[in-house]
Amino acid sequence: MQDLNPRNVERLQFFAMTKTISYCWRLFATALCFAVFGLAGLFLGLVVFPLMRLIPGSGAAHRRRVRATFQHAMRAFVEFMRGVGVLTYEFQGAERLGRPGQMILANHPSLIDVCFLIAFTPQATCIVKSALWRNPFTRWPVVAAGYLSNAPTFEMVEGTAAALREGQSVIIFPEGTRTTPGQAMQFYRGAANIAVKAAVAVTPVFVRCDPTTLAKNMPWYQIPPRRVRFTFRVGTDIDVKGFRSAPPPIASRAFNERLLQVFGAELGT
Amino acid sequence: MMQSSEILQMLRAAFAELFEIDPARVTAATRLNEDLEIDSIDAVDLIDRVRRVIGRKVTPEDFRTVRTVGDLVQAIERLSKG
Repeated sequence: MQDLNPRNVERLQFFAMTKTISYCWRLFATALCFAVFGLAGLFLGLVVFPLMRLIPGSGAAHRRRVRATFQHAMRAFVEFMRGVGVLTYEFQGAERLGRPGQMILANHPSLIDVCFLIAFTPQATCIVKSALWRNPFTRWPVVAAGYLSNAPTFEMVEGTAAALREGQSVIIFPEGTRTTPGQAMQFYRGAANIAVKAAVAVTPVFVRCDPTTLAKNMPWYQIPPRRVRFTFRVGTDIDVKGFRSAPPPIASRAFNERLLQVFGAELGT
Repeated sequence: MMQSSEILQMLRAAFAELFEIDPARVTAATRLNEDLEIDSIDAVDLIDRVRRVIGRKVTPEDFRTVRTVGDLVQAIERLSKG
């Protein structure tokens, strides 16, 4: 039982007040982050990347420059989010990201996971949802960076496999959409199918976000009661060569099961 | 040019090898998605196989309206003629 003498009551009031102030600030800061993201997306897509086209060089060289710029911009955005106090984060093992032909697979608890993965992976190709091509704030950057759409089509499978064979590293969220909190993870077989065909290495990244924020179907203003902590841990590579003796449909089903096992063991779902 | 019976035989062999589907389950009326659980990702591998068997370039567009094994046989017959 709390002792209700005036000093403790005062302390409780003070505590409640600081909590309210923190909440209001984080709500404002969250809005600010969205605004900054949108404006930066427009500025990069409509000003910076088109200007970079003027630099002489091949298409591949241009894409390299765009991706390097995009990576730095994402890193700055991540640091901005941390700076204004909406989140803290830790990224373990980033030095193992960005190898040639590497498929980087991550679970997807929150809208902003991809920002961190782009920020910490040099020259990444991302498989992102097709809606980003219709969003005015993201369409030009995803086009300039040469990202691929996640619609489960021939183009997606062949395009992603070609990117891996070319030696690009590819970031995929095998869930295809954000994780539904409290439900078992499900992976679309697209990632596993491409992995057995074309990945040189398959590297899992385990993402934790506590408390839940910007999950599927959560509006931006529904912010958590306290500052969010993100943890990214790059796991050891998952062996894919052992799965290649079977034809792709069978191999990809088996490899998908393996992926679910690996992620389940780490994240307990 | 392949006869439709040959094409069905080829498909039965492909389904057995790629998806471990019993050839007895594959008839003209069998629906690819509902009965055989072949999704769009599997379709990529199936189309790849068809391409190698008939030895000409095929695109996913050629199979856009395919729903059943019978549709697939017709599409392949058309392609191998054309």
